[in-house]
Amino acid sequence: MARLNVSTSFVLCIQGHLFSIRLFMEIILGLGRMIVMELKSKEDILEMLEGYEKIVLFGDSGCAQMCDVGGILQLEDMTDFLADHGKDVLGYVFVEGGLCDEFATKQELEKHKNMLEEADAFLVQACGVATQNLTEMVPEKISLPAVDSDFLGTMPERFHHDERCSMCGECVLDLTGGICPITRCAKGLLNGPCGGSMDGMCERDEDTECAWQLIYDRLREIDKLDNIKRIWEMKDWSKKHGPKTIVHEAKDALFQ
Amino acid sequence: MVLKPLFMKPRTLYSSNPFFSRQPKQISISLVRLPYTCTEEIQILVQTHLSRLLEDNRFVVTAEVGPPHGADEQLLIDRVLHVKDYCDALNLTDNVRGIPTMSSMVCSHFVRDCGIEPVMQMSARDRNRILFESELYGAYALGIRNVCFMTGDHSLLGSHPEAKMVYDLDSIQALQLASHLMSGNDLAGDTLEGTPHFYLGATFNPYADPIELQSWRVNKKHKAGARFFQTQAIYGVSRFERFMNRLDVDAIKTLAGIIPLKGPRMARFMNRKIPGIKIPETMIRRLVDAGDGLSGNEKRGVVRSEGIRIALETIEKVRAIDGVDGIHIMGVGWEESIPTLVKEAGLYPRPKKGE
Ligand code: SF4
Ligand code: SF4
Repeated sequence: MARLNVSTSFVLCIQGHLFSIRLFMEIILGLGRMIVMELKSKEDILEMLEGYEKIVLFGDSGCAQMCDVGGILQLEDMTDFLADHGKDVLGYVFVEGGLCDEFATKQELEKHKNMLEEADAFLVQACGVATQNLTEMVPEKISLPAVDSDFLGTMPERFHHDERCSMCGECVLDLTGGICPITRCAKGLLNGPCGGSMDGMCERDEDTECAWQLIYDRLREIDKLDNIKRIWEMKDWSKKHGPKTIVHEAKDALFQ
Repeated sequence: MVLKPLFMKPRTLYSSNPFFSRQPKQISISLVRLPYTCTEEIQILVQTHLSRLLEDNRFVVTAEVGPPHGADEQLLIDRVLHVKDYCDALNLTDNVRGIPTMSSMVCSHFVRDCGIEPVMQMSARDRNRILFESELYGAYALGIRNVCFMTGDHSLLGSHPEAKMVYDLDSIQALQLASHLMSGNDLAGDTLEGTPHFYLGATFNPYADPIELQSWRVNKKHKAGARFFQTQAIYGVSRFERFMNRLDVDAIKTLAGIIPLKGPRMARFMNRKIPGIKIPETMIRRLVDAGDGLSGNEKRGVVRSEGIRIALETIEKVRAIDGVDGIHIMGVGWEESIPTLVKEAGLYPRPKKGE
């Protein structure tokens, strides 16, 4: 737990530092990848909140903060914005780590019990998992999503995110030199590039690299081109189908 | 690495993941192993007019008509009657660029009624393996025997960018599936009530990158059952030749794609909008120069003749390339050019069926 125990003020003061934040997150939280999300439009949020007066906001120091949708700054901004539009924002709940962590979230809920009881609705500035967690944990209140969850990606620099994984349930990165064809090829092809791959770019638009060109270059580099010479047979998409539950056994070591 | 209870979510971490309780073992990527008949040895039992001509090493001409953008089958029939005497088989495109047009299977059926052999195109963009199987049964029942598989353009390039694309299979896997059905079983291994047989084809684009990987893909398609190939439109011949040199041309039949250019505007549009097309600037220049100083109908006529001339030159050049077994003319909204091209290239009349 110590790894996650970072004080709010420390988070606040570091938030503005473009370069240190990523390092900070990676070292302290071990997050280099995340659920990438964007705030919905102001209009959508106001429409969603129609009929609810007393609002409590939710954010966290994990993905939500790294995507600049649910860090302390955005919670403050949202408070001002909603107040300007006649809402009574009672305050916010900020979870160190992630709202997906029910254990940490429960502790915060406990701390803010009185405020939460007074609220008409919760506005969740974190991913869809967070909103659903709160719905389940506090069913007597309405939890509403302030963001659209977009993809599982990386953050090469602040405000910039690239999609990296579609959680297909059967990872093939060992065969592709660490580049995901399912996610990074615009068509998710498994047997090499389509006929639209030209000069390294994807047919879909001129800004997207062709994943299969990247895979080819990488495999050539590591002398593993044989991986893609043979036919890859049909993928078992049933491994991707949800809803899924994975239940791990508590063990001390891997492979025991 | 140690798994500490700390990182476990209270509600979900309570039972066993069998993975951890086993000895270390090699985890293999189990992309589904199908009850496959080895696709390399797939016997194509069916004979079609197209397959016969290709096997007899006749220089083949196929053409393509776009299905109507709506429900009027008469439009299709008109287009077909216009070109049917000038080709050996006729391709029916499958929702090119994700713009919905009449189903290629239904159109193939009408084309057959017009007395010419259809090549039904099937793209992987809009169907999963279930629909592939179902449509292949239906197509066979309708008398359709030539099927050409393709990846399909990204739907963002067309009029329905909001659509959810499928890509359950890629074109190679779709070919495997079709080959597999010919063994009399479906993907689950269940016996079919009636086994379909097809003459299978695929496409390739010699201009696509990386060239080595693209040529491997042609190999894979051949292994998966493709016997004939229709290429993307050829303009610059040297790259096409380079690509052909990489292929085992004796194993496959290749029809070089030809799209006659109506004018510089169409050429630029295609370079911009059609994936995989590379029309050299010198060719566009020729079209511009041809119409220089002219206007109206006169200009249009002259520019179009230049477009036909360019296409004829390309046909002549590709005929000289080792491994080219025919041409595939795509009218792309200019179907009237097909009879002219075939006649002027000296490829008319076409052999009669059963000849
Ligand atoms: S192969 Fe599957 S699990 Fe691996 S990165 Fe791609 S989508 Fe994610
Ligand atoms: S161009 Fe490359 S990345 Fe784009 S769809 Fe084709 S294979 Fe995939």
